[in-house]
Amino acid sequence: MLKNYFKIALAVLKRRKFFTFISLFGISFTLTILMVTTALIDKVLSPAYPDYRRDRSLYISKASLLNTKEGWYNGSSVSFRFLNDYVAKMKTPEKVGIFTFSSSANAYVNNKKLVIEYKYTNAPFWEIAEFDFLEGKPYNEQQVQQAARVAVITDRTATKYFGRAEGVTGKYIELDNVNYRVSGVVKGIPRSNRNFYGEIYLPYSVSKNFNGMAGTTGVRDLSVQDRFIGKYGAVLLARSEADVPAMRAEYAQLLKKVFKPQTEYDKLYIHAESIVEGLARNIFGNNEETGIVRMFTFAALLVFLFLLLPTINLVNINITRIMERSSEIGVRKAFGASSRTLVYQFLIENIILTLLGGLIGLVLSSIAIYMFNQADILPDLNLALNLKVLVFGLLLCLVFGFLSGVYPAWRMSRMNVVYALKAK
Amino acid sequence: MLKHLFKLIWNKRKQNVLFLSEILVSFAVIFAVMSMLVNYYLNYSKPSGIEYERVWSVSYRNPLKTENRDSLSLFYENIRRALKAMPQVREVTYSSANFPYSGSVSTTGFSYKGNNLNPINTYMVEDDYQKVLGMKLVEGRWFNSDQDRLNAVKPMVINTSLKRAMFGDDAAAGKTVQADDEKERWKIIGVVEDVKADGDYRPTGPAFYRKIDTASFSWLGNLLIKVGPDADAAFESKMSKLLSSMMQNTDLEIRHMDEMRDSKNGETIIPVIIFMTVAGFLIFNVALGLFGVLWYNISQRRAEIGLRMAIGASSGSISGQLVSESLLLASLSLVVGTFFAIQFPLLSVFNVPAGVYLIALLLSILFIYLLVIFCAFYPGRQAAAIHPAIALHEE
Repeated sequence: MLKNYFKIALAVLKRRKFFTFISLFGISFTLTILMVTTALIDKVLSPAYPDYRRDRSLYISKASLLNTKEGWYNGSSVSFRFLNDYVAKMKTPEKVGIFTFSSSANAYVNNKKLVIEYKYTNAPFWEIAEFDFLEGKPYNEQQVQQAARVAVITDRTATKYFGRAEGVTGKYIELDNVNYRVSGVVKGIPRSNRNFYGEIYLPYSVSKNFNGMAGTTGVRDLSVQDRFIGKYGAVLLARSEADVPAMRAEYAQLLKKVFKPQTEYDKLYIHAESIVEGLARNIFGNNEETGIVRMFTFAALLVFLFLLLPTINLVNINITRIMERSSEIGVRKAFGASSRTLVYQFLIENIILTLLGGLIGLVLSSIAIYMFNQADILPDLNLALNLKVLVFGLLLCLVFGFLSGVYPAWRMSRMNVVYALKAK
Repeated sequence: MLKHLFKLIWNKRKQNVLFLSEILVSFAVIFAVMSMLVNYYLNYSKPSGIEYERVWSVSYRNPLKTENRDSLSLFYENIRRALKAMPQVREVTYSSANFPYSGSVSTTGFSYKGNNLNPINTYMVEDDYQKVLGMKLVEGRWFNSDQDRLNAVKPMVINTSLKRAMFGDDAAAGKTVQADDEKERWKIIGVVEDVKADGDYRPTGPAFYRKIDTASFSWLGNLLIKVGPDADAAFESKMSKLLSSMMQNTDLEIRHMDEMRDSKNGETIIPVIIFMTVAGFLIFNVALGLFGVLWYNISQRRAEIGLRMAIGASSGSISGQLVSESLLLASLSLVVGTFFAIQFPLLSVFNVPAGVYLIALLLSILFIYLLVIFCAFYPGRQAAAIHPAIALHEE
């Protein structure tokens, strides 16, 4: 039976080439956009090089101090002091990586200016992030303690600065008028991974501001802001996925212990959370709630609205097509086919059409993704069509085919036999 | 005639529901795109208010541990002198972090004569700031330490937007003002042209400029330098070396203002390009769909058309009727669409001026009409070419 429907569907498709083109264009294009977007989102949210262990990691990136009475707000990244003195000493995490979010500095080679984004990190950062070392090795705890001027650079930086990506270990790179010895070269990562992205990685102890930090001798006293707000972020790696709730609980305890409401500021928020939570909180949430529900509702609504236009279009065309076949329907009805059989047949036909469109969409997506990767729009961000994206695409095809097939099929099934036979 | 057309449409209401909703949704998409484009274009057509070419910014962190005004002043004046001694340097000024295109924002708000003004950008500047950025004065003068010292009231410079909000069309320079509920009095010494500090496509808002005092050097972190045309990377490297030898224990970064402007503009343009590509393909999709449906409808009505031609209708009036039928249909959708669209200026959504929405509304209506005419024209011509004898014979 299915085989028969398939044959009919193909015959109908061939009959009206213009309509077939419109339908297939609409379906394949819509799916291409959705699949490329999914691939992009998947790349940003799923575990990828270099932090493969996102399911047992929590990230800290923002601190905010509030005075709820006066409406004062003071927020930025987190202070090194808070992360190093308290968070790094927690018991549940296996390791705590501390880093700055990258900022840029200038290097001058051969009378050319290079802008290089640098990131200060501690030593455990290298154990949490599983970087591919093309050569050399990361700096260790001892080097960090001694404030050794060593650096890990990415292959892109090596090519920019030295003109080649190999054999640069042990050479010196001058950044902002300071010489650093290259201790290793890693494969670069895309900028979208804000926690780990950098073009050159340096031990936090060589930071020029580090010795002048508030609280060290000779500098003004520690204020509340200095204690919590700074330029750093952290990643907390639990021993296993099951340990994550315990880690969250310990962190909440710690935060309560460290900060007591005071006259200047009565609320402190520093969240340790997963990547998805952080993203949702940034865009849709606030300090009290993550806004994950709102984010997914918004995304679903957006996809729905985006699908709406092609769906209406497809419904329009489907009705036109079906009305053209009214004599065929009339004959089948006259010979006793039930409405349900007919609806079933048209739905299947329509789903075959959408799947065909989906196939073209898949080819178009691969071309779009290939072009995106080739054009190097976001350096080091290489999209790929993986299984997740494919399943999502297939699901979309089915939903799309179903949505755009139901109404025309229902209209058709209610057609009166006499009129159907009379038309032509 | 119109009544007759309405009757025809009403008789086919079931078939037309989808056509109507398709037009409605495309109208919504076009209205969104048009609003965005009109808004950006209107902002783009205004002057940028500064000369950003060959202006470099240097960011640093105050490395001094002292709070003493004299030693701070001595240290930073030394740096200024050393920079000015370089042949390629034209002008040097210290600035708060929120200089144009920096992405950093500092705002405040006050009410003046019961008129609540919020947010207002505030900039901390020096005498040479105007020269470095080439800002244009509309009235009065810029800061000048020799003259300002004579005033008992603190001087401030405001921009055109703030002037308009506070004084309307009256002159502002020379007036002494005091915000409601505040003790401090300020003397407005000049009015400058608005500066598009967030890039060429972003609106300017009200802003005022105040002078840096020597105590501010403990938290300031930016230098703006106007350089000559002969300033190249070799010179930049030299300047960077000089600055790091004079200011130790701080990160330094030199950036070029024209590049900062490009990246600021990119933040606006890239989403627009993505949005327009998607909308463009959606509309193309709709156009093909409309074309197909209209074509089919007309081929269904061959008998009717044949009859009309047989009793003497010209081919022009046939295609005219078909096109105007489609236009009438589209108008029904547009009435509904306009009802929703008009809420945007009424509720002033997203703080965009009402004029933007109105222009966008007109453009979207025009666009939809053109789209429908374009899609209906060819099928209409086809219908007009029908031979009455053949069409009637089929029946």
